[in-house]
Amino acid sequence: MSLKRDAQTFLTVIEANKGIIYKIANSYCRNAEHRKDLIQEIILQLWLSFHHYDEKFKLTTWMYRIALNVSISFYRKENSRDQISQPLSDGILHLYEAENTSELDAEVDRLHRFIKELKEMDRAIMLLYLEENSQQEIAEILGLTVTNIATKISRIKLQLKQKFSNVKT
Amino acid sequence: MKELEMIEIWKSYDKKLEENLILNRKNTEDITRIKVQSFISSMKPIKIFTIVIGLLWVVFVDTLIINLFSVASPFFLISAGIQVLLTKLAIGIYLYQMILIQQVDISAPIVSTQEKIARLKSSTIWVTRLLFLQLPVWTTYYWNESMLENGNIWLYALQIIITASFTYLAIWLFFNIRYENKDKKWFRLIFNGREWNPVITSMELLNQIREYKDETRSENSSR
Repeated sequence: MSLKRDAQTFLTVIEANKGIIYKIANSYCRNAEHRKDLIQEIILQLWLSFHHYDEKFKLTTWMYRIALNVSISFYRKENSRDQISQPLSDGILHLYEAENTSELDAEVDRLHRFIKELKEMDRAIMLLYLEENSQQEIAEILGLTVTNIATKISRIKLQLKQKFSNVKT
Repeated sequence: MKELEMIEIWKSYDKKLEENLILNRKNTEDITRIKVQSFISSMKPIKIFTIVIGLLWVVFVDTLIINLFSVASPFFLISAGIQVLLTKLAIGIYLYQMILIQQVDISAPIVSTQEKIARLKSSTIWVTRLLFLQLPVWTTYYWNESMLENGNIWLYALQIIITASFTYLAIWLFFNIRYENKDKKWFRLIFNGREWNPVITSMELLNQIREYKDETRSENSSR
């Protein structure tokens, strides 16, 4: 059955996949205020592209492509953001942080820090890998070959493992 | 750190998001009512404006050259000719950018889309190189025969020093304004300011994409 392209369906799609948007925006934008703008920009571009969404691709493939493309190019708008977009007074996604932080949270923070240190394209591959996308899907999202993706994933993983072991020693 | 551990850490982050991430539906709904241009198309108006101004300038200088061809000093004609030629090349770059803007599809694969966006942004540096290349003609267009006949050695010497230094500087900058020199002091002095940050970042991104493509090519050829 084909997807309806109205605002209500769009809201349902966003609600179901809000985690994807948040995780990508968070990995590409350190500044909380800018991140709010980036999330708004991603959702806006998803909406503008929603009517052209090609159903031969998975919905998540389409979302990952747009969210990553907007996030990687977000530097372009650093100076002109205010002129182009119409910032909403409040954010769209709110994360309510739990007060007590566990050992696991510290590990999550560390992983985040290491991911943010990766180059933009490597970061995209690692995010897609951690999201448990198949190599075929990652290749489709990036537009590279599966062999290429496999090589890159093992190289980036090695890099991250090295960083983790440096912290522990 | 084992591979599975990394995925487990990520899953715990996922779980936390699932429990604590709230979507503001009203604001999301508001977004669907905002009337704005798509991602890259917002760059179009300023490019079109620059092309129009550039074309007007080219028409103006070309008309001057044609109408004054028989009476103007050859220095003026040659200087104006070089200047207008470089302006035409700069307009060509803006037209190339317009084509790239047209081609960018934000829902297309990351590598090809990012390459187009990075090319689009970093090609601005070419306009700067061409602008610098125009420097010497601004020191020659006012020369005329009477200056040559009635001038003295000091005037000639001063003029030659100025034109020679501007020519040297223009050619040097034309060849040296490139990504590899981005950390040099003189480069940072010229491209100082927030408006240049996206250009430099896009050049860096273009380099990353080139590395990716080279790796893919070498992998394909080794198979």
